[in-house]
Amino acid sequence: MSSETSLNKTFFAGIWDNNPVLRLLLGMCPTLAVTAAVKPALTMGLSVIFVLLFSNIVVSLLRHQLKPHVRILMFTLTIATAVTIADLALKAYLPEMSDKLGPYIPLIIVNCIIIGRAEACASKNGLVVSIVDAIGMGLGFTITLCVLAGIRELLATGKIFEAQVMPDAFVPWAGMGMPVGAFITLGLLLGLVNIVSRKKA
Amino acid sequence: MSNNKTKNPILFFLEQSWLLMVSAILFGALLASLNYAWQPKIKQNEIDKFNRLAGGLLTKAETFETALENIPVDIGKGKTYNVEVKKGLDADGNLVGWAFICEGSGFADKIKLVVGVDAAFEKMAGFGVLSSNETPGFGDKITIKDGFFQSQYKGAPVAELTLSKIGDADKIDSEIIAISGATVTSEAVVKIFNTFLLPIKENMKEAGLLK
Repeated sequence: MSSETSLNKTFFAGIWDNNPVLRLLLGMCPTLAVTAAVKPALTMGLSVIFVLLFSNIVVSLLRHQLKPHVRILMFTLTIATAVTIADLALKAYLPEMSDKLGPYIPLIIVNCIIIGRAEACASKNGLVVSIVDAIGMGLGFTITLCVLAGIRELLATGKIFEAQVMPDAFVPWAGMGMPVGAFITLGLLLGLVNIVSRKKA
Repeated sequence: MSNNKTKNPILFFLEQSWLLMVSAILFGALLASLNYAWQPKIKQNEIDKFNRLAGGLLTKAETFETALENIPVDIGKGKTYNVEVKKGLDADGNLVGWAFICEGSGFADKIKLVVGVDAAFEKMAGFGVLSSNETPGFGDKITIKDGFFQSQYKGAPVAELTLSKIGDADKIDSEIIAISGATVTSEAVVKIFNTFLLPIKENMKEAGLLK
């Protein structure tokens, strides 16, 4: 297998085959908590892409120096640094979004996707593969969050990206903006993905 | 293992953990420098948000200046919240009212409000929501500017407020009509007003800022 094919496979694995939310069921906390509207979901997704990139790059560069028993500490230190940078940047340049996302940006530190990719990919592979993996996984996470948020925002408010889409006669389903809406939409989306996967197989 | 036993324990420790220590110092320095660079902007964002909300309440105010700091308000369970009262000044430097931040527990999370009162601290100018995480479609109606809930506070007397589930929301008095389906959030807002307003007024009188 050529290296280009291998990189393509790594990239698309994050988006579909090993999609962190729909296939690996990782990062459920932000998936349920910040998908009431597309804007916060997109901001969360982009923050996760940044943290994944930072963490995978650092871990991949230092992989030969990592001692087995301190590697988890090293991953945590790297991830915490990236998350703090993302949190400070949002507070400085997107303060409204920072308020809206509240504790969920600092909580990226405990997002299993990040430490999972550091352990499964970046600590065993070179820089290019680690970067492609971070972008693929990050995009897979972001796209899923945005799809989920799009469905919920549309049904809860009649809007997408805060722009009116539904006709005036549409009665908003307030429940879709609440946690119950997040669970129902995620459940239906997971069911749909399972049906599509079985048909493919 | 046998090698480890013969090694100096300090050297062994350094050999195993040098990367972690060096990384911690470098990452710490990176965060410190980013914090140093962005902190003024973050502080300015907070001031802008306060001024925007307070300016929406005290419409004649052009600037806000700190009038009294560290007013201790008992918020229950042995906790105190230190309030900073700012005075709103018009273009000629005349006092048009007071504004301050106060907070309390809501249905889902803390509710942080910017409250405005008139120059005599007799009538409220209303409130704006600095941060809240109340139920969408129900409790989050407290954030609607000039909505039915916020409007009840504009011109209401600075006194002990009561919450009622039925009544005339257009009548401006100390009785606040709750949001349907969001009684807990409505109670939380009324409780914030009752916890903060009168103690702040007392402190300001003691400081000679009010007659």
